[in-house]
Amino acid sequence: MERREVEAILEACLATASSPVPAGVLAGVVGTEPWDEEAVERVLAELADGWKETGRGLRIEQVAGGWRMVTDPALDPYLKALHGRTAKSRLTTASLEVLAIVAYRQPVTLPEINFIRGVNSGSPLRTLLDRGLVRVAGRKKVVGQPFLYRTTKEFLIHFGLDRIQDLPEPEELTGERSEEGPAGDGALPVDEGNEPTDTD
Amino acid sequence: MTAAPETASGSGGGGTSEGLAALSVTLPTFTGPLDLLLHLVRKNSLSIYDIPIATLCDQYHETLRTMQELDLEIASEFLTTASWLVYIKSRMLLPRPAEGEAEDPREELVERLLEYRRVKAVADILHDEDVVRRCLWRPALAAPDAVEEHELDLEAVDLRVLARAYLEVMERHAIENPSPLTVLPLRHTVEQKMRDLYRRVREERLVRLLSYLHTLPDVEEVVTLVMATLELVRLGGVRAEQRVRFAEIYLRPGQKGLDLERVLEAGDGA
Repeated sequence: MERREVEAILEACLATASSPVPAGVLAGVVGTEPWDEEAVERVLAELADGWKETGRGLRIEQVAGGWRMVTDPALDPYLKALHGRTAKSRLTTASLEVLAIVAYRQPVTLPEINFIRGVNSGSPLRTLLDRGLVRVAGRKKVVGQPFLYRTTKEFLIHFGLDRIQDLPEPEELTGERSEEGPAGDGALPVDEGNEPTDTD
Repeated sequence: MTAAPETASGSGGGGTSEGLAALSVTLPTFTGPLDLLLHLVRKNSLSIYDIPIATLCDQYHETLRTMQELDLEIASEFLTTASWLVYIKSRMLLPRPAEGEAEDPREELVERLLEYRRVKAVADILHDEDVVRRCLWRPALAAPDAVEEHELDLEAVDLRVLARAYLEVMERHAIENPSPLTVLPLRHTVEQKMRDLYRRVREERLVRLLSYLHTLPDVEEVVTLVMATLELVRLGGVRAEQRVRFAEIYLRPGQKGLDLERVLEAGDGA
């Protein structure tokens, strides 16, 4: 099959898919010899670059373990004018903080979130649940059995992450050094033990 | 209101502008007490690992006071933290116990501030992403909601299955397409019933209407008869009586005789 044909198939697939499609699935759809997952992935990456360079209205991006088609963010005002609404409402500072905690400490409970933020976070958490960015993932086996929360695939899609591991480490962001690597998934502040404590 | 010296140090205003400087401090909205503390640490370039707790505590309280003056609602968590800071401050003033096991009263505060600072850093990243990515639209060129095509295994279909499927289809068809309403020609006329009933009432002097209606098998005839009764009552040819609601209705001849044929010919006696 000609490469041009493969491109056409991939474009049509992504245009009609409701969620990101893994390259392996797309390779299965193409279904002919040289176009295995790796080859399809390469075509997709080149398509994505090509579309971006030529400044098309649509883009192809790799998120949440798959590929999808989205609009160029710069076109948002025009789309608002057409549809009379925004694609998504903005997230408040409080919601973003809660989301950051869930993303790094998942699975995590509301009391833990409250403790880390120092304020009750039930309301922003509910917003995130409603928006499908966070989900309930069972209950913690402690007194009261609080719900455990995790980020969702929608979280990856919204923030353009292929995998949750692609989030930058907070230590890199704050310029802190942590000699023993990122914190394990244990109790709250585990990795603080090796902070320089030059007090007396 | 005199601002604490620490407050003034950061904002280079002198004398009279101190009050204004204190106001400007509260302009950012804090998502919580830790947010405020981190803001104060940053603003005064304090070392997070060796916090001058007295300074921080004073500024924290100063900010809360300003918030109160501005009539801002202060969440209870801010007050809890305020008393926590005072507690730490007071413990710092106490002579330390023996060396070695000496635990820094600020330790938990430091840990929580560091943790919260990390959260803020990530939240900032997420915020920057959100600013751009909430402007992304998904193409709505959705595949038609096609019914899933089941590949039919012909050998698995026996005649009974086929027959049942056929019956189901026909049944559904019958429900969805009911046979059209058939209108039968009128078999009873109000005029005829009026004649019959009037004659009967005059002959029998008393007719039990409901009992009579119950003997009629045909709904159409019942309706016609009721209409006829009402018409006769209106014309005064028949008197209807009923003792209790829903009880039997007795029909008797009216006070005056009625030349029914003439009335019917004229179309209306009234």
